[in-house]
Amino acid sequence: MITFSKVNKWFGELHVLKDVTLEVKSGDVWVVCGPSGSGKSTLIRCINRLEPIQEGEIIVDNLSVHDKKTNMTKIRAEIGFVFQQFNLYPHMTALQNVSLAPMKVRKVKKQEAEKLGKEILARVGLGDRVNSYPAQLSGGQQQRVAIARGLCMRPKIMLFDEPTSALDPEMINEVLDVMRDLAKEGMTMIVVTHEMGFAREVANWVAFMDEGQIIETAPPNEFFSNPKSDRGKLFLSKILTH
Amino acid sequence: MWAFYFNELVRSIPFFLKGLWMTIAVSGLSLIFGTVIGFTWGIIRGARYRVLSPVIGAWVDVIRGTPFLVQIFVVFFILPEAGIELEAFPAAVIALTNLTACFICEIVAGGIQAVPTGQVEAATASGLSQIQQLRYIIMPQAMRTILPPLVGQYVLLIKDSSVVSAIGVVDVTRVGWLTVQRIPEGIMVFGLVGILYFIICYPLINLSNALERRMTVVSTRL
Repeated sequence: MITFSKVNKWFGELHVLKDVTLEVKSGDVWVVCGPSGSGKSTLIRCINRLEPIQEGEIIVDNLSVHDKKTNMTKIRAEIGFVFQQFNLYPHMTALQNVSLAPMKVRKVKKQEAEKLGKEILARVGLGDRVNSYPAQLSGGQQQRVAIARGLCMRPKIMLFDEPTSALDPEMINEVLDVMRDLAKEGMTMIVVTHEMGFAREVANWVAFMDEGQIIETAPPNEFFSNPKSDRGKLFLSKILTH
Repeated sequence: MWAFYFNELVRSIPFFLKGLWMTIAVSGLSLIFGTVIGFTWGIIRGARYRVLSPVIGAWVDVIRGTPFLVQIFVVFFILPEAGIELEAFPAAVIALTNLTACFICEIVAGGIQAVPTGQVEAATASGLSQIQQLRYIIMPQAMRTILPPLVGQYVLLIKDSSVVSAIGVVDVTRVGWLTVQRIPEGIMVFGLVGILYFIICYPLINLSNALERRMTVVSTRL
């Protein structure tokens, strides 16, 4: 469903992705972890071309993302993206936030888009907040609206860029619960996160990154109990001992 | 003597109203054209289009860095040497439109750049085209920043329009100049001119202040 082959990316002089090769199959839940600045966010931002790459190829759903001829609207419509800072539209209600793209990109009629929007907001536990503006919602609620905004496009893939890092601790679980449900329903997901509990429980695969490289990929129980790389061991020793 | 001049001035009021109408016509047309052109340029600048944006930027700097009186002389006296002859009225509207467009361009570009990049990224990620992003996400948010200084710019435009009297457009300032030759009471005559400008500008100043207050309230609420 998503294939990285030999992807290289630079920010000016800085080599942020080094020969990244990765294959994500339909229905997989990947957690990408690693120290900050290791290129995790950049990696997933390349999948829907929020960032350009300089070398290599990324294929999503049989289409080459960084080919100039590719219709990006079509690819982006199939990929939901959830940001660390939510990035909800502040001038729109929760319902307007989630129904805008279905109406404008998928050309769904307003009535249908709003029906779908209400349904999905209810599914993330916000059925009673459809007419609230982002500023009237807590961080956890905002992030759930942001997830609903992605889901309203009926995407094949959901990408999460540190979805709980900007949240107060007591709100983290309500967001993780929504993501757990999504994973159970078979959504293909890539999640950049520091929530190792979530990774252990929900992910099929963990990719450990450091300095722009994927150091190792393994099923979570294997990675957490017996990381193959020294850098992986070091990283785990730092985050798991409090 | 003063009473005589005062009566004379009262009798000249229709002349002043004609001048006022000319001021409104020149500023009104420049306001409409200047707003349309200024928003277009500002959107191009705000989106940082590679070729057009610096060209507009350079033009805006030239216009902002030269006196309006000089600009209007160029349009009215120097363009004819290049074969472009204009009556005073269109020359005035062109010069004032250009001036207004340049200032509005900067206001609009600033407003667009003040919208957080996360908004554009979220809109891009959901597949909205550039035009859709501009229409549904960027401009509605940018307008909060743009509106108060925009209305302030309209006030400046109306006052700057007095400069068009220099090329013979009979606006309210020019009427003042002509009248003061018959009624040599400068304070009285130009006092009236000032009052007439104030009557048009004052509601706009209030509007600008009200918008500023409202936008601050709204943006803290959001």
